[in-house]
Amino acid sequence: MTGATGAAFAADPTVEVDNVSAWFGQKVALSELSCSFGPGLTGLLGPNGAGKTTLLRIVTGLLPASKGRIKVAGGDPRADAKVRAALALVPEDEAVPGPLTPRQLVQYRADLFGVVGRNAVDHALDQVGLLDVAHRRLEGFSKGMRQRAKVAAALVTDPTVLVLDEPLNGADPVQRVNLITLFRRLGADGRTVIVSSHVLHEVERLAERIIVLVNGRLAAAGDRRAIRDAMVDRPRRVLVRATQPRFLGAALVEQESVTGVTVDGDDLTVATSRAGELAIVLPRVAKAVGSRLHEVRPLDESLESIFRDLVR
Amino acid sequence: MTAVVHTARYAARACLPRRRRLGLLLPGLGALLFGMLAHVVDAGTAEESFAAVATVGLFAIVLPIGCLVIGDAMLGTEVRGGTLHFTWLSPVPRWTIVAGRWAAGTIAASLVLGTACALAAVVAGVPGVAPPLFLAISAGSAAYVALFIMLGAITRRAVVWSLGVVVLGERLLGAALDGVAQLSPGWLSRTAFTGLTDATDLFRAGVPDGWAAIGRLALVTAICLAVAAWRLSSLRLAGRSE
Repeated sequence: MTGATGAAFAADPTVEVDNVSAWFGQKVALSELSCSFGPGLTGLLGPNGAGKTTLLRIVTGLLPASKGRIKVAGGDPRADAKVRAALALVPEDEAVPGPLTPRQLVQYRADLFGVVGRNAVDHALDQVGLLDVAHRRLEGFSKGMRQRAKVAAALVTDPTVLVLDEPLNGADPVQRVNLITLFRRLGADGRTVIVSSHVLHEVERLAERIIVLVNGRLAAAGDRRAIRDAMVDRPRRVLVRATQPRFLGAALVEQESVTGVTVDGDDLTVATSRAGELAIVLPRVAKAVGSRLHEVRPLDESLESIFRDLVR
Repeated sequence: MTAVVHTARYAARACLPRRRRLGLLLPGLGALLFGMLAHVVDAGTAEESFAAVATVGLFAIVLPIGCLVIGDAMLGTEVRGGTLHFTWLSPVPRWTIVAGRWAAGTIAASLVLGTACALAAVVAGVPGVAPPLFLAISAGSAAYVALFIMLGAITRRAVVWSLGVVVLGERLLGAALDGVAQLSPGWLSRTAFTGLTDATDLFRAGVPDGWAAIGRLALVTAICLAVAAWRLSSLRLAGRSE
């Protein structure tokens, strides 16, 4: 993984974010962010409130940047109709025009973009698995189905730049797999596909290249393995509940992967810089000292804590 | 031009759901009730009684409230609800979005309110004034819908501002100041009706009447639509989290 200066920029950028800041009253959503996106699938990862949605809305022109510059396909998405013709967004919000059917919504988008022919509409609906229910009103749809209808409405315009904000929210496991396959294929076709999520595993499955935002700033960028390593090989604390805690603690301290042990009654708090290695070593050490493990639990495993570590 | 048609068709389907259409029946029924009320108002002839009722009921209540329900639905509701991006994020010029929504709203308002008010005239026993009343209400609807679309593009609290414009701007200031009444859809549609009939009780000095009022309404409509189209270009479509 490299820092903000290197891997944050695509070799052949379609979307360029140059020193962009955005604020809403006193709240700063993005702070001097610079990065770019090129053909292929890029994951935008960050905890809730990191500024992902704001960035995607600025990229698509729905919001102006308070400061800085955005260029999409060589133009300004807020001012240039040609740029808007190349763009499509699937927003995170659940909102859809409820009285319409998916077919009517997709047809409307096709009409606005001058897409001719019923096949294009059918194809878009088929790609997201909604062809069979295309005559039902959107207001009766589940969150996942609404999300797929929005994806179909985006796909029918054949966009060069496709922006998807948490597109897998509410999707069932089967649809999740289908959508991931679809997004990967669209990226492989040479489109610029940006997918945001706050779930690391989801983004890992989707994208080779990941950009991580935390508190409106670029926290990390690079290929998915580098990002995962950065997240996994970080100091963390693990609670171990076992018999013979003092013997176990003494034995664990001698392990290379362990940086410290605190004993409190039957509880041991083990600090480690390599959690994966500790997971292998711990049962072996416990067996060697005759200790029985009752519970092993990471104390700071939330995604937010991982992100916090990344920006330290 | 086809973009206007597509947008209008979308607006008619998506922005006026069944519940809102049912809601529109209320001002329609209100208009008919005012028609019946004309029978118990003793203001001279049947025409004069109906004119008295129309002043208070049709032009001051039914027309603005009915148009507010429709006009806000055409843009403000979509901005607040987060569905405008389906239209906004497209290569069509901004003015076509505004024009399509205005056309759909005006047709809906004219059909519901114009027809209800014309029927009210028939119920009141003055069928002769039904055609000019339909025309005046339709022209007023066009201006009101444009006004409420403009407010939907300017502010997120479009309903509050719209009510403020009608109650404070038109009713209070418009009643006192000719300059305000000359730009007020409510006053102009009323004086349009005055000029197209012989409802002299509704005449107001300093405000154009008849076809001149309809021309003024067209001007107000055009200004509101131009402002809405301009404002739409600089609209901030923030998500719920922002």
